[in-house]
Amino acid sequence: MTALAVRAPAAPPKPRRLAVKVASWTVAAVVLGAFAGLDIDWEELRELPGDLVHYGTLMFSDPDWSMLPEALLQTWRSVSMAWLGALLGVVLSTLLGIPAAEGVGPLWLRLPLRGLFAVIRAVPEVVIAIIILTVTGLTPFTGALALAIGGIGTHAKWTYETIESAPGGVVEAVRASGGGLSETVRWGLWPVVSPELASLALYRFEINVRTSAILGLIGVGGIGDMLTTYTQHRQWDTVGVLIIVVIVVTMSIDAISGAIRRRIMEGAKARGVERSS
Amino acid sequence: MTQAPASSVAKAAPQVPPKPRTWPRTLGIVAVLAVLTALTATPALGGVEIDLGAIAKNWTNGADRIGKMLTPDLSVLPRTWQPLLETLQMAVVGAAISAALAIPLSLWAARPTNPNAPFRAAVRFVLNVIRAVPDLVYATILVAMVGVGALPGVITLVLFDIGIVVKLVSEAIDSADAAYMEAGRAAGGTQSQINRLTALPQTWPAYVSQVMYSLELNVRISAILGLVGAGGIGRLIDEMRGFYRYDALSTIVLEILIVVVLIELASNVLRKRLR
Repeated sequence: MTALAVRAPAAPPKPRRLAVKVASWTVAAVVLGAFAGLDIDWEELRELPGDLVHYGTLMFSDPDWSMLPEALLQTWRSVSMAWLGALLGVVLSTLLGIPAAEGVGPLWLRLPLRGLFAVIRAVPEVVIAIIILTVTGLTPFTGALALAIGGIGTHAKWTYETIESAPGGVVEAVRASGGGLSETVRWGLWPVVSPELASLALYRFEINVRTSAILGLIGVGGIGDMLTTYTQHRQWDTVGVLIIVVIVVTMSIDAISGAIRRRIMEGAKARGVERSS
Repeated sequence: MTQAPASSVAKAAPQVPPKPRTWPRTLGIVAVLAVLTALTATPALGGVEIDLGAIAKNWTNGADRIGKMLTPDLSVLPRTWQPLLETLQMAVVGAAISAALAIPLSLWAARPTNPNAPFRAAVRFVLNVIRAVPDLVYATILVAMVGVGALPGVITLVLFDIGIVVKLVSEAIDSADAAYMEAGRAAGGTQSQINRLTALPQTWPAYVSQVMYSLELNVRISAILGLVGAGGIGRLIDEMRGFYRYDALSTIVLEILIVVVLIELASNVLRKRLR
């Protein structure tokens, strides 16, 4: 390489970007093919803005605020599902996720656990709820259980990834000063990973708030249930109230939970300080 | 929290600082968690009724279904190709449209590329609102508006994808290396020149990986979009559920899993090439 540079300071040859070209043409072809293949009358899109204005007026010009108490009650039920689902899911994921971490559990235990998480990740929450409702019926409890079990898939993965990415120095130090397994976990691992695990647990709750609204669609109760019913009856003034409630509640929970997560991850002193890199 | 072992035999017995009193805070946190849990588990207040008796009584039903799902019925496969193709097409179209819309929106939502604070706040607020509505809620309402089919599904996917892609890409721009943009400004570039020549090239990798991620999520989501009539393979899932064909249901779930894994592999390859 260097020998060449000494001799001829000619401009380097233009990079042959054949691979890039082929890739971009392939992507373009796939996208165009997908557009063409879809059974959509794109003419309908022209009516969409008009439709949106029409239904938007129906929903938001004169919302039926008398439905607000019922909407808030159903929202609370959804949030309850999300909270209990998050609590149970996080406890289960922590119990299952710790042995699945490299360096904690043996290989014969790690592999089946990780396989289990992958399988759960693949099954949509709605399908999990369909299975569970044969046991507990169409109740909010079913929703909470579905959220808990569906959450294990991703949450246990985050748990073992967090543990694996913890810096090993602290653990080594505890071990070097004579700590056994329990001391290593308590003083070496726990202080390092607990802030991130707590933050992830809150994040799980935020996700569950959204998912619980989806589970309402199959009838386990909560705001999603109410929304489906009123949409199907085309009572748009009530649907408007419900959408406003969903947006306000979700955004408030996100804001509160996000503030707590920042506080956990960055500590009290970091507040109000711009994050540097 | 930090219980450093008191450095034992120093010379003049240094004053050990008093142990920080953390128990009131810990107690407070535990109390808040306990109260919230108790409230959410009180049916009288609208919470969830925890019915452990039902589990003890009916757990065989669930085990039965899981048992059925563990023996996938592959004979349903030929019927899944058409809906699966539709799902993939919807996912690609949704990701493509949202990817195109996400470029200007991300630039508007990030601080270095949009110095106009009120405009930036407005864009961010609208995006937060879009993100706050769950995907299936969009689908339900859009199906009621424009009718059953792939169109409401695609619109749902676009709205959902814009929410996540713009959020993550604009955050990437926010934390991108500001020196290049400063250099562009110092050289007399207009804001749009700076955005195009310094901000965008830095964020392409983040952008592409987010778009690929949204494609993967789209395949997952369209598994359930069909439940409300928004097209794709979810329609078949709903049908199989109606007929109690849980063995066929698990075949479809497996199929989705394979597609998602393939997309994940493709996006890993693409991401490596972009570095």
